[in-house]
Amino acid sequence: MRGMTDDEHLLINGDGTGDDRRINLLVKSFIKWCNSGSQYQHMLSTLSLCEFSMVYDMNLQEMENYEKIYKEIECSIAGAHEKIAECKKQILQAKRIWKNRQEYDAVAKVIQHHPDRHETLKELEALGKELAHLSHIKESVEAKLELRQKQFHVLLSTIHELQQTLENDEKLSEVEDTQETIMEADGK
Amino acid sequence: LETTLSPQAEVFEALQQLHMTVFSQSVSPCGKFLAAGNNYGQIAIFSLSAALSSEAKEESKKPMVTFHAHDGPVYSMVSTDRHLLSAGDGEVKGWLWAEILKKGCKELWRRQPPYRTSLEVPEINALLLIPKENSLILAGGDCQLHSMDLETGTFTRALRGHTDYIHCLALRERSPEVLSGGEDGAVRLWDLRTAKEVQTIEVYKHEECSRPHNGRWIGCLATDSDWMVCGGGPALTLWHLRSSTPTTVFPIRAPQKHVTFYQDLILSAGQGCYVNHWQLSGELKAQVPGSSPGLLSLSLNQQPAAPECKVLTAAGNSCRVDVFTNLGYRAFSLSF
Repeated sequence: MRGMTDDEHLLINGDGTGDDRRINLLVKSFIKWCNSGSQYQHMLSTLSLCEFSMVYDMNLQEMENYEKIYKEIECSIAGAHEKIAECKKQILQAKRIWKNRQEYDAVAKVIQHHPDRHETLKELEALGKELAHLSHIKESVEAKLELRQKQFHVLLSTIHELQQTLENDEKLSEVEDTQETIMEADGK
Repeated sequence: LETTLSPQAEVFEALQQLHMTVFSQSVSPCGKFLAAGNNYGQIAIFSLSAALSSEAKEESKKPMVTFHAHDGPVYSMVSTDRHLLSAGDGEVKGWLWAEILKKGCKELWRRQPPYRTSLEVPEINALLLIPKENSLILAGGDCQLHSMDLETGTFTRALRGHTDYIHCLALRERSPEVLSGGEDGAVRLWDLRTAKEVQTIEVYKHEECSRPHNGRWIGCLATDSDWMVCGGGPALTLWHLRSSTPTTVFPIRAPQKHVTFYQDLILSAGQGCYVNHWQLSGELKAQVPGSSPGLLSLSLNQQPAAPECKVLTAAGNSCRVDVFTNLGYRAFSLSF
């Protein structure tokens, strides 16, 4: 009988082993007690045996369960720690990006205050053209002025020369007149 | 050990605490300690890790050690990877962080830059470390920037250009250039290799930010390569360095005494008990009150060796140093 396993015992004899067998014994002793009334102590001890063995098994199973849950929780804590570290890195990265964006905005604001480069270039070009035009006019006016100056100079010098010639002529004619009067006075 | 003081001494100590101003702060290279310098020339070392731990008591918020460092106020402090450098009354002193927690710590060395007049010793308002050159820049009352080699202790250059004393310094890492701001209202950029002034920004001449009723002094300066933020008499303004144009004026009336870039924000503090958090667009994201009526210095502990001590500390016109664990609110205050 001892060489058999629990399953074989169940199959061949129709009796369960362990708890099941104890329960069967309990039922039999209960019936005996009902009939004879003498098996009371025996029945009580069998009953407590059943209880304790069941409770013992139950405790063992609960322990196993708790161990399993404990390990799971440890794993998830470790996982959570890793996620936190990862998130912290992401926050730092995000803060860097935010800072860069704000720096960009700050510089952009200042740039907006200044006028557009194209417009300024166009204005510069227009001003340059005006400047060239005006200096051209200035040049031509100056040339004209010089020409007039030269012409006046020529005119004035010609007048001077004519004056001189006329004065010379007058002087000559005066001299001739005085010579004539002297000759007339001599001739008488 | 507590020594009972005579009532007179107690009153004196209480008065001292009342009139204390903390000018400067510096975080240790390991990130666990904070040094604070006050107007009496004392430096106090606080343990940030103890004050932030879950078992912190009231004593953890007191200094681990306080010692007398200078004869005048300690206006500026910086830390290298092994030393604490402090400056105030015309001298700069070096202390070893490893020794500093022991009682009776003595300075490792002290140096005085070559001043033109030996009669008056001008104060040193700002210190700046140039890690690539292993040198230290000092600036203050004599209107010059002195550069000192940390290895040999010799003073290598004196940059002249400011017409009045210098308040603050900042390092532009990319170029590398040093920015200095002072009482004459100009922010000057100096190229370290040629020892020449390469750019000048006269802040008070720009209409958008000048506030003549406050004066033209530049009290605080910070730079982020292409950008610079400065404030003081004129309004706190963000400048684009390459084009020398002011892009954003931050709408706060109170003159700001300390400003720094942090992630995507600009943090500033000054008159008024608040630490202001600004977006680069000019929007005020948050205004967190501290415990001092005015703030003079902000310090962000970003040492990689102590990420649990990553806090913002603010100090100013009181004996307290506020600690902000989350930038949004003041967690607690350390006190001298």
